[in-house]
Amino acid sequence: MTMRLMDGSEAIVEAAIQAGLRFYAGYPMSPATELLEYMAEKLPHHEGVCINAATEIEGINMALGAAAGGFRAASGSCGQGLALMQEAIAEAALNETPIVIFNMARNQQDYFQATRGGGWGDYRTITLAPKDLHEAVEHAQLAFHLADKYRVPVIFMGDNLLARTQMGTTLPQLDLAPLPPKDWQLDGTSGGTGKSRQIWTFGCGKTNDPGPGPSKHWERIAAKFDAIAEVEARYEEGFTDDAETLVVAFGSGGKFVEHVVREMRADGHKVGYFRPVTLWPYPGEALERASQGCKRVLVFELNAGQMIDDVRLNVHDRKLVKAIGGVSFDESGLNLGPLMDATVIRERIELAIHGASK
Amino acid sequence: MSCTPNRKPVALGPPATGRGYLELDLFISGIGGQGIQLIGKSLALAAIKDSRHVMLAGEYGGHMRGGSSIGTVVIGAKPLKALPILPHAGSAIAMSHLFWERVGSRLRPGSFVLAEETVAADLPDMEQHRLVKLPATAIATELGSRMAAGMVMLGAFAALTGAVEIDSAVAAMAEQIPSYRRQHIEANERAIRAGAASVTPMAFAVDLDAREVA
Repeated sequence: MTMRLMDGSEAIVEAAIQAGLRFYAGYPMSPATELLEYMAEKLPHHEGVCINAATEIEGINMALGAAAGGFRAASGSCGQGLALMQEAIAEAALNETPIVIFNMARNQQDYFQATRGGGWGDYRTITLAPKDLHEAVEHAQLAFHLADKYRVPVIFMGDNLLARTQMGTTLPQLDLAPLPPKDWQLDGTSGGTGKSRQIWTFGCGKTNDPGPGPSKHWERIAAKFDAIAEVEARYEEGFTDDAETLVVAFGSGGKFVEHVVREMRADGHKVGYFRPVTLWPYPGEALERASQGCKRVLVFELNAGQMIDDVRLNVHDRKLVKAIGGVSFDESGLNLGPLMDATVIRERIELAIHGASK
Repeated sequence: MSCTPNRKPVALGPPATGRGYLELDLFISGIGGQGIQLIGKSLALAAIKDSRHVMLAGEYGGHMRGGSSIGTVVIGAKPLKALPILPHAGSAIAMSHLFWERVGSRLRPGSFVLAEETVAADLPDMEQHRLVKLPATAIATELGSRMAAGMVMLGAFAALTGAVEIDSAVAAMAEQIPSYRRQHIEANERAIRAGAASVTPMAFAVDLDAREVA
């Protein structure tokens, strides 16, 4: 297979279309604009449709409609745009419409929004946080697969580094298990039969076809998310067997931390890294195991402390947990800031180790 | 266009450690308008043609502050371990001394620096690096295309290091030139080949397929 040089935005769009994406509606917002531009350029060549919606709210609701019709559909923006979309994302979760939302974030302050269920109701959103372009190509495929498999919204969490760094890729395709037909899709085939699909009445159903009722419906939805949490957590770890210091980070931050930890290992430091690949479900059991025997667990994230909550919930001793990240933007406010730097990360890890030994 | 994998040895500066395999990591530094990004993209595309693994990144914040233009290219024989923001590198191309501190401060000691001759004297701390000066602007002017100085540097870097095939560099340059500037392709090609002809390949080339020595 031929290697092609492309930026992350283009690679994600190519992989998503290969995975069957046929409808995208979004509103431009840096650094997610290139994604929309590539969608607009490429989808029409694959019998797909891309709409530059008038707002993020329209974009996500258009995608919701296309998804209800059984098409693989997505919307996208950066974190602030996703904030506007939360009502529709919650609707997708509660009425079981599979949809993918691409978040090309400006920073890492989207963690709570992505992992707690950003709108109303007992639901979560599966959130994939790739570390680089190669993993993003996989996640772009996996996102649609998981969305369809569970009939849930899936958030794909990237950032400006992922969107714009160019790499050679062959766009390898994942071998994913076949999924059952979408017997729920609104395709017009049951018109006039009295067997309507996707009746959205909070589980009450219709007079001639009553549903389980609101409590049973919400319980079933919540139970579905519990079941997803049991099996879909993904993570990557390294040097955790004998690590005295464990560094936890996600997305691009995870790649930087892995790089720094490898360098420090080469210099004889007993450090390890742990990267949640899914931010929800959080790989809590794996983190608990990886943190056994550690003297300290350092959390590197470019925000004032969001994932650190999940780390505290899962490590064997929460007193070991210490933040080494922080809020860091570049001067434009649109991109990751100077903290996302291997030299700075290493200094902070060494300071945490050194300070603790005094 | 070359389709044969490039398996020739490549002259690296001092390599980064801890990556498993050797990678050529390069900063290209200059002023917006000198063709810095064209050099970077041409190198990256040429390396792809040579069946290498490649990463190409810009310094995005820098573009907004005005003036400074920095490109980053990493080339390897195996999937790359380099970060999208390089903490340091072993090679550099200097088209200008302005804004150089942002690159110079991140070069590993002993780095290979290819500098435009007229700015080389203004690059600090060069005694600790391996400096090659090239009159790229003069060569380009001689060819009747002063604007192609960056392409002279591209050809010279390719020939000095063996990082990419010269034919691949020419093809990579040509495919990026937009339709309304096709008339510059010939001059750019002459500049690339002139740059390549004006240097002697470095003697310290290594095999990128080899594992790094711990």
